[in-house]
Amino acid sequence: MTGRLKLAAQLLALAGVAGLLALLVWKLSHQEHAPPVGSVAPPFTLRRLDGTGKVSLAAYRGRPVVLNFWASWCTPCKSEAAVLERDWTRYRGRGVEFLGVDYHDLAADARRFVSAHALTFTMLQDGSGRVTSIYGISQVPETYVLNRQGRVVAHLAGPITDPSFAGKFRSALAKAAA
Amino acid sequence: MIVRFLAVVAAALALAGPAAACAHPRTSLAYLEGQVMCPTCHTTLDQSDSQAAQQIKAFISQKVDACWPANRIESALVANYGQGILAAPSHKGFDLLAWWLPVAGVLGGALVLAVGVWRWSRRREPEDGDGPPGSGLDEETERRLDDVLARFE
Repeated sequence: MTGRLKLAAQLLALAGVAGLLALLVWKLSHQEHAPPVGSVAPPFTLRRLDGTGKVSLAAYRGRPVVLNFWASWCTPCKSEAAVLERDWTRYRGRGVEFLGVDYHDLAADARRFVSAHALTFTMLQDGSGRVTSIYGISQVPETYVLNRQGRVVAHLAGPITDPSFAGKFRSALAKAAA
Repeated sequence: MIVRFLAVVAAALALAGPAAACAHPRTSLAYLEGQVMCPTCHTTLDQSDSQAAQQIKAFISQKVDACWPANRIESALVANYGQGILAAPSHKGFDLLAWWLPVAGVLGGALVLAVGVWRWSRRREPEDGDGPPGSGLDEETERRLDDVLARFE
């Protein structure tokens, strides 16, 4: 009887250790990474920042998309906003869509930001950071350029106003819109 | 004259209004800083000085000044950021597991320990109850040893 109890306790302890190990492996294998260039951008559905419904990335299939992650508390996002708006007005005639994803931000502050910078492209809210996490965003601003097939053409981990990114952004836009 | 008097009263009310908005705050920023997470740095607000944390601290201060209770401020933050903004899981649904599993673990451990101690003490009882511990020799050897020792007495 004692032997059986001892064996049961040992099996229980072993099962506990195996469970913790499995949890560790699962966590490591499910860490989010930025979708690489050439891969299909992860699908998502988010609420519009102005509260007028939801938007799915899938709805934009067939059109090039600029996906910009930002927040009202982010300083570089302020200087980037004007450039994005200017490029949006320049490229929308060619069918390019701009989507702003507001990340870990208070919706009221984000709406004030949009209004203050007179941004007119579609703004989405990712308060929980779920979508931002899928895209492997570690800081804002970051921008993805997607082609008509929904594949990543470029990923710019920094403001597009940065001299090292400005050229890349333009060429990615031209490539996506071609 | 009356117009001037009314203007003074209106100005006084306008100035006194915000100051008297909440004479007795129902919670504090210091308390909520330990209950709310910074979404970008994954620590509580009191351990973070990031821009996102500063924004939330400003929001909390504003609501504390407006006399909002802690649970209302937390609800507003959850509505904006999701449940992950709270440092502790909620007391309902699946989140209850986070509260009860440690308790169950401690109780289970105590039970295993108690059973172990009980079994161990039971195994030792016969030896304690039968006087001095046995020599480990069989009966025949014991008897012969007693005989030999008796010859020397």
